[in-house]
Amino acid sequence: MEKLLFPFVSIVGQEDMKKALLLNMVDPGIGGALIKGEKGTAKSTTVRSLAQVLPYRDAVEGCVFNCDPTRPDRLCPYCAEKLARGEKLPSVSVQMRVVELPLSATEDRVAGTLDIEHVLKTGEKKFEPGVLAQANGNLLYVDEVNLLDDHIVDLLLDSAAMGVNYIEREGVSFSHPSRFILVGTMNPEEGELRPQLLDRFGLSVEVKGDKDLDMRMEVVKRRVAFDADPAKYTAACKAETDAMRERVTKAREILPTVETDDSIIKAIVTITTSFGIDGHRADITMMKAAKANAALDGRTAVTKDDIRAVAALVLSHRMRRRPFEEAAFDTEELERCLQSI
Amino acid sequence: MPPVDLRSFPFTAVLGMDDAKRAMQCMLVSPNIRTVMIRGGQGSAKTVLARSAGAISGRRIINVPVNASEEQIFGGMDIDATIKEGKAVMQPGLLSRADGNIVYVDDVNLMDQRILMSLLNAVIEGRVVLEREGISAEYTVDTMLVATMNPSDSDVSSHVLDRFDLCAYASFPTEEAERAEILRRNADFQRDPAAFKELYREEEESLKSNIERACKLLPLVSMSDDLIGVSVELAVRVLADGYRGDIVMVNTAKALAALNGRDEVMKKDVEEAAMLCLAHRRNYVQEPPPEPPQPPEEEEQEEEDPPEDDQQDQQEEQEQSEPPEQDQEDQQTPPPDMDFQQLLDDMVFEIGEQFRVIDYLNDGVRKVSKTSAKKGRRMMVESSDSSGRYARSRIPEGRTHDIAFDATVRAAAPYQRSRDHSDLRINIQKQDVREKVREMRAGCTILFLVDASGSLGVRKRMAAVKGAVLSMLRDSYVKRDRIGMMAFRRDSAELVLPPTRSVEYSYKKLEEMPTGGKTPLAEALVTVNDYMTSYSRAHVGEMCYIVLITDGRANVALNEGANPNEEVLKMAEDMAIPQVKWVVIDASSGFIRFDNAEKLAEALQGTYFRLDDLNADRLAESVRAVIQ
Repeated sequence: MEKLLFPFVSIVGQEDMKKALLLNMVDPGIGGALIKGEKGTAKSTTVRSLAQVLPYRDAVEGCVFNCDPTRPDRLCPYCAEKLARGEKLPSVSVQMRVVELPLSATEDRVAGTLDIEHVLKTGEKKFEPGVLAQANGNLLYVDEVNLLDDHIVDLLLDSAAMGVNYIEREGVSFSHPSRFILVGTMNPEEGELRPQLLDRFGLSVEVKGDKDLDMRMEVVKRRVAFDADPAKYTAACKAETDAMRERVTKAREILPTVETDDSIIKAIVTITTSFGIDGHRADITMMKAAKANAALDGRTAVTKDDIRAVAALVLSHRMRRRPFEEAAFDTEELERCLQSI
Repeated sequence: MPPVDLRSFPFTAVLGMDDAKRAMQCMLVSPNIRTVMIRGGQGSAKTVLARSAGAISGRRIINVPVNASEEQIFGGMDIDATIKEGKAVMQPGLLSRADGNIVYVDDVNLMDQRILMSLLNAVIEGRVVLEREGISAEYTVDTMLVATMNPSDSDVSSHVLDRFDLCAYASFPTEEAERAEILRRNADFQRDPAAFKELYREEEESLKSNIERACKLLPLVSMSDDLIGVSVELAVRVLADGYRGDIVMVNTAKALAALNGRDEVMKKDVEEAAMLCLAHRRNYVQEPPPEPPQPPEEEEQEEEDPPEDDQQDQQEEQEQSEPPEQDQEDQQTPPPDMDFQQLLDDMVFEIGEQFRVIDYLNDGVRKVSKTSAKKGRRMMVESSDSSGRYARSRIPEGRTHDIAFDATVRAAAPYQRSRDHSDLRINIQKQDVREKVREMRAGCTILFLVDASGSLGVRKRMAAVKGAVLSMLRDSYVKRDRIGMMAFRRDSAELVLPPTRSVEYSYKKLEEMPTGGKTPLAEALVTVNDYMTSYSRAHVGEMCYIVLITDGRANVALNEGANPNEEVLKMAEDMAIPQVKWVVIDASSGFIRFDNAEKLAEALQGTYFRLDDLNADRLAESVRAVIQ
């Protein structure tokens, strides 16, 4: 029997972490989230339970790569071929999943394997899909992401950058769509993340254990109540869980209609310039995150409050800092920037 | 019920080890307590106890050897079946046999940390996700894990330690009578295991049924909000990271109540639970020291006149040696009519008390601030030649000379049916080849930079410092680190001992090291900077630590007219020796605490400890103190 996970909606506090994850659900283009923090602060629990509130999406029925039938530009070779033959792609609604990449994974199971002998003998490509195939259209979760082997990290980076997984063996190549929301959790005590991988994450959050006694009491009581009877506890949270999923689904629907006016764009640029951030990725991510935040609230106009809500998530891992220096996010500076517009 | 295992000693015949026994019983009672660690020295019967859990629980003990591979533990490819069937077939690992049983790992600190982490997560979550070498599987496993280790060779990181719900410290009995009884029982068992087991059969049975009763009672056990509040407060007081300690403490207190046949948790359950749940999660910093009460005139003076050596020196000594009345512990305050300079110049203090040190180079233990996150464990590095331990395999880029045969055969296995076998048993093709990824422990050098100035001469502080240094030297020796020593006093710093692996030599040097004079901290930083910069250049890839032991109160400036303390902090901030991490050990003592050393640690981006916090055995005492 599948073990029940602690309900996402019942996790006490950790609002930033939850927000970073939900924003990504609304707009997967934000680029995932990195969750850093001390041990035992419900990092993994939160990410795994996110599965409960994940929205439904369209997928081609029977396709191992979960191709999105509404995007002919992002199809796997099999679906593309069908479409070229003039066949229709049968569509089903499936719930997004949390696909986990275990630390012990080997390259062949991450990228998938191409049966070269089959190609040589029959001229047909035979591909055994790996984790990157399962992850397409889903959330890819790496616990202890800082301990992941470098050559596995390289595979992730390639796919994350292009949205496509290329497998090249002995002169034969194969590719399939691999667009996923990358979520990593880590305890920085065990070592830092490679900068290339750090850059890939759209948002980042630092989580801490709460030192407030009442809050901690609540954490402990809820956990103990859940452990005593997981099924009953989960049932009690069902309405809230459904409501949360509904909220995310609605937000995804209205996202394309969310508008930003010039003052918002100006605010974003002022902030990134003032924080000394190079490159455009931060600007684009902040725009996307602010829109997603508005959509999550059911609004179709982005306000300064949306920027206030997402700025730290977007910027904190992108700020230039001296080696060793863990610069705290300067909320006053942010306020100054917002006021100046 | 499994047949009586004659090799295992009866649980109830193990003398002492109450904490460990309690921890194991809690694990057997509560489904939310999954992992137990027993720490103790050699011959403390921790292994015997761990193995004896089978008889009182009706479960089998599944032994996981420390060098077990990921395939062995979690499952991997069944090569025979794969070759026969022409597609990857899975062979279950040790963990699937552990379902409903108990996993046991001896010397858990020697296990590959990544494999250990995966194992712990699998046990805690009750689930294994496998994506290895053609095998993709997910299965549930309902098991528990007991691990034992001897912390004197190396320790697991605090991150891993936190994954152990409970941790018990096995102590060796010191009473002669008790030792004799242990020996007697052991001899009896060796002579006739069956008869010995028969002797304890009743006791074992009764413990077993008590555990069964407790399992049934557990869901009915209640715990008052007050006591939950106490648990949470204790966890906060010992600065445990995260919530695991709090949660497991509640579960443990409930299990203890159930074991005692009660349906309500009492205060004493919480106390016992705290020892098992918090000792290994404790962090070492207390609240920041109170601001030193300094009269304003003095502050001004410090800013205006650069210290005129002797006078200032003396003044400082006086400050230190006149502790308020409350400080009863120190009887070493010199009589007021004594000449301080005479007392402090060139004394040679004996080496003070030695002790088992905490893992002070490990990051998890203590952070000065959030700035010092970038520190490593005593690291494993990937080795580029063919030395080191075969950790895992990968697809080579280009040619390889270091073939991982097992992984290569596994990669080739599914294709054997379709390949030509004219003269071959197994036909391996180029694309099957996997190479080995090897790991080796990175070398580590520790340079002790010891403040031997007069200010540490008061109240035999130097003896304590020497004791601590020697304790750390011993610890490094066990861990095969290279150690060196530099001392500073009067107006210079001197390399007493270039980095070496010999502990004997360092003992002599340490014993002879004189104390006295002023504190040329800036000069010491310059000297150590020059020395270690060229040292680390000559030892590329070697992790270096500088362990600075001082009260941080500089009184000789490098530049004339500068304030010595400010100068030191400025230099410390600019310090950037490649591959070097700093550990600052605050040797100051007495009732009035100055934060110079702490500030210095911060400026150096280093870890900060107080000398008294280095003693690992004091840990349990302090947890007890917190509970009081």
